[in-house]
Amino acid sequence: MSPFFFWTASALMLVFGAAVIINRNPVASALSLVVSFLGLAALFMSLDAFFLGIIQVLVYAGAVMVLFLFIIMLLDLRAEERRRINFVAFAGGAAVAVIFFGQLYLVIGHLHQAKLPFAPLAPMQVDDVHRIGLLLFGSYNLPFQIIGVLILVATIGVIVLSKRELH
Amino acid sequence: MNPTLFLIFTSLLKIVGIVFVVILPMVSYSVYAERRVSALIQDRLGPNRVGPAGLFQPIADAMKFILKEDFTPANVNKFYYWLAPCLAMVPALMTIAVVPFGSTLFGVPMVIADINVGVLYVFAIASLGVYGIVIAGWSSNSKYPFLGGVRSSSQMISYELSLGLAVIPIFLLVGQLRLTDIVRYQIENGWMIAPFVGHWTDGWKWLLAIPMSISFVVFTIAIFAETNRLPFDLPEAETELVGGYHTEYGSMKFALFFLGEYAAMITGSAIIVTLFLGGWHLPVPWWNHAHGFHWLLIDGSLGGWRGVIGGLFNIFVFFGKVSVLLLFFIWVRWTLPRFRYDQLMRLGWVFFFEIALVNIFLAAIIIACLPQ
Amino acid sequence: MSYLELLRLAAPEAIVVLTAFVVLTIGLVTGRREAGDTPAATAGLGALVAALGLAIAAATIVRLPGHATLFHGMLVVSPLNSLFQVIVLVLAFFTVILARGERLLPNKGEYLAMILLATVGLMLLIGSEELLMIFIGLELTGLSLYVMTAFDKASQTSAEAGLKYFLFGSMASAFTLFGLSLIYGFTGTTSLAAIGPRLAEQALPPLLFVGIVMTLIGFLFKIAAAPFHLWAPDAYQGAPVSTAGFIASGSKVASFIVLGKILLIGFGPVSGSADWHGLIAGWTPILAVLSALSILIGNLVALVQKNVRRLLAYSAVAHGGYTLLGLIAGGRAGFSATLFYTTIYAVTLVGAFGVVGFVRRENGGDDLADFAGLRARSPLLAGCMAIFLLSLAGLPPLAGFFGKFYLFSTALRAGANHGLLWLVALALFGSLISLYYYLIVLKVIFLDENAQATPAVARYDFEMRADYLPKMTLLVLAGAVLLLGIIPGTLVARILASFG
Repeated sequence: MSPFFFWTASALMLVFGAAVIINRNPVASALSLVVSFLGLAALFMSLDAFFLGIIQVLVYAGAVMVLFLFIIMLLDLRAEERRRINFVAFAGGAAVAVIFFGQLYLVIGHLHQAKLPFAPLAPMQVDDVHRIGLLLFGSYNLPFQIIGVLILVATIGVIVLSKRELH
Repeated sequence: MNPTLFLIFTSLLKIVGIVFVVILPMVSYSVYAERRVSALIQDRLGPNRVGPAGLFQPIADAMKFILKEDFTPANVNKFYYWLAPCLAMVPALMTIAVVPFGSTLFGVPMVIADINVGVLYVFAIASLGVYGIVIAGWSSNSKYPFLGGVRSSSQMISYELSLGLAVIPIFLLVGQLRLTDIVRYQIENGWMIAPFVGHWTDGWKWLLAIPMSISFVVFTIAIFAETNRLPFDLPEAETELVGGYHTEYGSMKFALFFLGEYAAMITGSAIIVTLFLGGWHLPVPWWNHAHGFHWLLIDGSLGGWRGVIGGLFNIFVFFGKVSVLLLFFIWVRWTLPRFRYDQLMRLGWVFFFEIALVNIFLAAIIIACLPQ
Repeated sequence: MSYLELLRLAAPEAIVVLTAFVVLTIGLVTGRREAGDTPAATAGLGALVAALGLAIAAATIVRLPGHATLFHGMLVVSPLNSLFQVIVLVLAFFTVILARGERLLPNKGEYLAMILLATVGLMLLIGSEELLMIFIGLELTGLSLYVMTAFDKASQTSAEAGLKYFLFGSMASAFTLFGLSLIYGFTGTTSLAAIGPRLAEQALPPLLFVGIVMTLIGFLFKIAAAPFHLWAPDAYQGAPVSTAGFIASGSKVASFIVLGKILLIGFGPVSGSADWHGLIAGWTPILAVLSALSILIGNLVALVQKNVRRLLAYSAVAHGGYTLLGLIAGGRAGFSATLFYTTIYAVTLVGAFGVVGFVRRENGGDDLADFAGLRARSPLLAGCMAIFLLSLAGLPPLAGFFGKFYLFSTALRAGANHGLLWLVALALFGSLISLYYYLIVLKVIFLDENAQATPAVARYDFEMRADYLPKMTLLVLAGAVLLLGIIPGTLVARILASFG
């Protein structure tokens, strides 16, 4: 993977990921998230994981986020009003984040693996679509099916909780 | 020449050639065809004043679009208002990248990017096309465009399901997502909608035609919905929403929506041709002394001028098939009335979705029984 | 492996999932005619089918082979797993019966299906020794419980509880997933059995500790250990009563068994030590601190609660703290003490929430004041509640006493020269405090007069409406608590034997 490509895609992801929470306008936030997802897809593809990358675009950028936009528009959410920032809470949250980041940084800095260059990727022998298919229907069959149950739970939950009751 | 450089050079050539020499003129002339055919169907004349039989009409239209004042309404969300037309146009052109529009020409494969997840790429990029419409509807800050945007997003999501499910039988059969492999398979085993060709005595192959035809029908109808064509043009229904999502747009920005829509139609047809109608393949009846009567496969693999002519012939065949499908699209538009919105949704979720799902099982059973 | 083998070993889970489908269909076909509450016939049929399905699943578990492993531990059949899967099924069974009492739910079919699907999640959590599967089980359980918590759409507190539970839960899951990915990155495997040896053979990088701590967060959230307990009071108070009971019982049992397996099998080599003078870095000191925090916060805050469900929630935090003692002590003895205690606790809490459900139906609330004079109105309920609460407080001869005794004595014996004495002392002190607030509840039930005199009509109505089935269930549960206190040996022997 060329470093230039990696840094571009990562920067894209991070900048737009930050834009998701900084933007006051929900539509702008959602669109930033789409761009962030596209950056992630690009990273996948640069690792030769074309299938994952494409699915990332297809499912998240193409379907999930469209539904998000749809809901945001239907609810007609206006830009969030500017609140007075609770500085104590803000400082507390920032402190936790900074401490956590610092801790991770120090810990990773002590790691000798972190200083080694990455080994080059092995050239892809088999089609990644085939391999993923074989894994899903082979040794990862059980989790695959349980995730089906999981999605069913989510679906039922959403419908039951959001449906208007007749009175 | 350095192979990398050669690859970059030929790819650029293909991109420029396909987008500017083939697709864009095709877009303008399909607009022209739309108007002429609709006139024919409605017993009118249509545009026939600019040039012979009105053939220069698209050029005149383009001039008009470019020269008109580029007007931005006062209360729109400027950034997104400008962004939307680009988002509507780009995905339609990007999808064509993986479609093999010919065999080879001078030894260069006639496909811009032959990636192993071909069809998924098409779906992924096409699914991004909805952003242009949704953002246009939202940023216009006006009721009708907004309704158009909302309708469009739900419609495209709903029909994407049928679209995706409809092609699964093909993957089951071919075992590949790469579009060139799918075309290659159809050349060897008969086109997808007629898998029995060449295996006339094989009963399973005849049975296989059933799920494949269902797939073809569902897929084609889903493409209608995805490209917002009548009878599914709810997002821009004139009688209900004035102009739908592009009500507030004019001049070149409107033209971009317009072009994007027709470009999406062309890429949609190209996908249908590639998946179901044999791609660039057209068997030619031939006779010679050695073999007697047989079907000749023409492609660019021969040496010298024969290969060049073969390659050009394939490209011609491919776009010929696409043109026929485009005519079909136009014909449908001027023949069928528009669905109501709830009918559209019910059709997508309750009818096509289930059909496509059952079809997968049917295809799987038949494929399991196919003699290897 | 073949698909047939997968189907055979995963048959109990599959049966519960299928039962959930059937219950959903029953709700769909029969329960949608008119507005308002679910028709009684639908609710009854749904509950019957659900209970039957759970019973069949339990019977299937008994018939499974003794030991089997699929996909590097994604599904492990062992006596221990089977025993606790059956226990979880039994708890779900009681929950289904007590859910009959929930009157305010219009979508009874979906509610029962959610209980069943949550049970599937719990069974997978118990039956898996692989990180990916454990995470999926955690999510399946979590999602079902979030939905069940918010199920009472007529009540705002239910919605609030659901939202809080969901937000805390998804945050905790995110941490857990991050931690799991770090552990996977270091060891190159997600199988617990393989992680242990990998950890033992290399020098431990600090990043791995970050991974372990992050992984623990998700489970500590599930067992509501302080400081990850903030969702518990609201969820216990706002959720439908049977959901609160299930969160406190089934979910807790499964979480403890998974936590134990991850810590003792997976992270065994990096346990460290929490002894008073011999502190060694590892997960034990972390757990010890959290355990102490939970005991203190849970018991002290419970003192001032005016709502019985909130009180039970804070006491649950404290009990989570006690139960961690067994894991801190480590080894087979510690783990079995933890498992025994959490099982007893689960049975007791299902019963306690059952009583709360009855009182709630009668008085429309579950504040302490609503329990006033319960003895006069229903001696049976008052008696059951007394047994449950005294068992929670740890008075002999009830099950809670033996559980605590077993737990504390194991912890005391674990470290060199009673290194864990400080923690045991703290736990004993906490138990003393807890006795006070449990006795307050009992005082209100037995001695206080009913302040707002219940109209005779309502009382009559209550007596008539009272389901015999839930009352019988409460009696059975109270009997179990009593019996496990008198002859705890059977269950302890079972648990110890199942370690094989």
